[in-house]
Amino acid sequence: MLNMVVCIKQVPMVSELPWDPKTGTLQRDLAEGMMNPGCRSALDAAIRIREAEGGQITALTMGPPMAEEVLREAIALGADRGILLSDRRMAGADTAVTSTILAEAIQKTCPGFDLVLCGFATSDSETAQVGPQLAEALDIPGVAYVDEIEVNGRAVRMQRLSDNFLETLEMDLPGLITVTTGVHAPRYVPLGGLEAAFSEARIVTLDAAALGLDPERIGARGSATRILNVYSPTAEKKNIVLTGTPTKIVAQLFERFDDRIGGAISRDLKSDKKKS
Amino acid sequence: MDFNPCMKHKLVRKAVRMFAEAELGPIAHDIDRDARFPWEVVEKMQPLQFFGLQVPKAFGGAQMDSISYAITVEEVSRVSAAIGLLLTVHNSVGAYPIVRFGTEEQKRRFLPAMAEGERIGAFCLTEANAGSDAGGVETVAIRDGKDYVINGTKIFVTNGGVCGTALIFAVTDPQNPQRSSGVFIVEKDTPGFTVGEIEDLCGMRANPVSSLFLEDCRVSEANLLGKPGDGIRIGLVTLDTGRLGVAAQALGLAQAAFEDAVRYSKERQQFKKPISSFQTIQNYLADMATEIDAARLLLYRACALKDAGRPFSAEAAMAKLHCSATASRVTNLAVQIHGGYGYSKEYDVERYFRDAKVTEIYEGTSEVQRMVIARAVLAQRT
Repeated sequence: MLNMVVCIKQVPMVSELPWDPKTGTLQRDLAEGMMNPGCRSALDAAIRIREAEGGQITALTMGPPMAEEVLREAIALGADRGILLSDRRMAGADTAVTSTILAEAIQKTCPGFDLVLCGFATSDSETAQVGPQLAEALDIPGVAYVDEIEVNGRAVRMQRLSDNFLETLEMDLPGLITVTTGVHAPRYVPLGGLEAAFSEARIVTLDAAALGLDPERIGARGSATRILNVYSPTAEKKNIVLTGTPTKIVAQLFERFDDRIGGAISRDLKSDKKKS
Repeated sequence: MDFNPCMKHKLVRKAVRMFAEAELGPIAHDIDRDARFPWEVVEKMQPLQFFGLQVPKAFGGAQMDSISYAITVEEVSRVSAAIGLLLTVHNSVGAYPIVRFGTEEQKRRFLPAMAEGERIGAFCLTEANAGSDAGGVETVAIRDGKDYVINGTKIFVTNGGVCGTALIFAVTDPQNPQRSSGVFIVEKDTPGFTVGEIEDLCGMRANPVSSLFLEDCRVSEANLLGKPGDGIRIGLVTLDTGRLGVAAQALGLAQAAFEDAVRYSKERQQFKKPISSFQTIQNYLADMATEIDAARLLLYRACALKDAGRPFSAEAAMAKLHCSATASRVTNLAVQIHGGYGYSKEYDVERYFRDAKVTEIYEGTSEVQRMVIARAVLAQRT
């Protein structure tokens, strides 16, 4: 029986969101929210663990009141309860402050927790910092970018792909794991679960005062970092025609794109050349 | 009056859209081309309770409200109207009559398998000489002890080729058809029940629409919904709900065609400009947007009336009439905006165009909807 916490963030649904072509930024006021895909995978991992080991899943999010939607969705997918941390004074928090607030909330609302699961990163800011920082704030071990999780008693065995190597790691509980996307197909929301998530489930909302947070140390005011600029990366397409004999073309290809088409092959070609 | 969708309805839309785009999106074109019923997707829909949308929880359903139901059908139809059709027929005229008129015993016997999607529902009213005229049914169910023996032929049965549980309209006294119509729950493994050939239709091709033959098909009196003579009343109430589903389906089609048309008009260049910069195209898009919006409001209003337990028959007819007309007009304009490409099977708008027409025909033709609306108007006003 594991006491699990899944941290979930509501992110803008980029596919539905227009860009402001003049500033290159997302028109967030037009944004529909959705559950961050990494968080969806983390919740999915928690449900798998509960299927194997039993336990309870608390879905936790920090955000504006509309972020309640991802908690309802999490409950429809299988979470047992939802906790929303919402307070205007928390707005604009950087990753460090976010982790501190989440840690405080976990300690207050989930005493004796065994495992915290987060997405590996969020699709709106992509920092991948909150998970590891949260492990620090909770003073527990943390492993990031995990694909597979297996719980055996008080130990967790994890697999992750790291620089083209598969790593197997083990960690004692309590601990924190950030989960990647793409290994398991996302679970779809069962429609009856969704109905019940609204008619039966209750969401607990906590503000800064309920968490006993110092208003000076939260939100944009308490954050040490500032976002200076957000812009859309521009990708350019260019046609390049290589000319000459086939041997010359291949040589040019490796000269120009060595790093992209695999250094090993290129090195082999070069050493072959030296030999001959 | 609040025109904003609530959090639940927003989430229903997102959840169904996510499923439909991922699972039906990649095959929607091919199942139409091949007239193939996608069992592999149906199997994924079953555990998500797509087949028990408005069946009570106690019988394994999702017990959704009617707006959630409409949004579900709309979003599935936005990707594949043929599968939207499967859902609306199964849920609103297959399972719903049993929810509404069934005895506790009938609900226990039939609903769980239908809500699981293990038995797909069909509604069989139309015959060679009956359709809009429900009183013209010639299929007979003759009493024999504690059974009824059914004989007759049903045509254009949506889901016919895959149905597990069919609701059959039949008359128990051929001398007095108007007063003796009944609805019988017939399961496909009943001896004497056979499925005819799959129809070769203009649109909705992934749905196996077929004839059904009943030859000395013996069912227990426990399979009769309501009492003998209740048939027409059950049929009319059922069709009111069915119309919400078909309206939602038509709306989903219109929405899909509209989105494709907007996207294409921004991409397609003529005279060195995107065609969306031309006023004619803008007028088309403006009309499409306006009609779709009006259709959606009519539909959700009818759904809200139903959920509030208020009369909604005329409002459902208005929604169905306007949503289906909108689907036909909007898909037509979407083909027009796509030009020659719109007429090609390579583009989805060609499929939407073919699929849309029948929404003006089934579940009561547009002419019948006007009859229903006019009747209400004349009854309400002096």
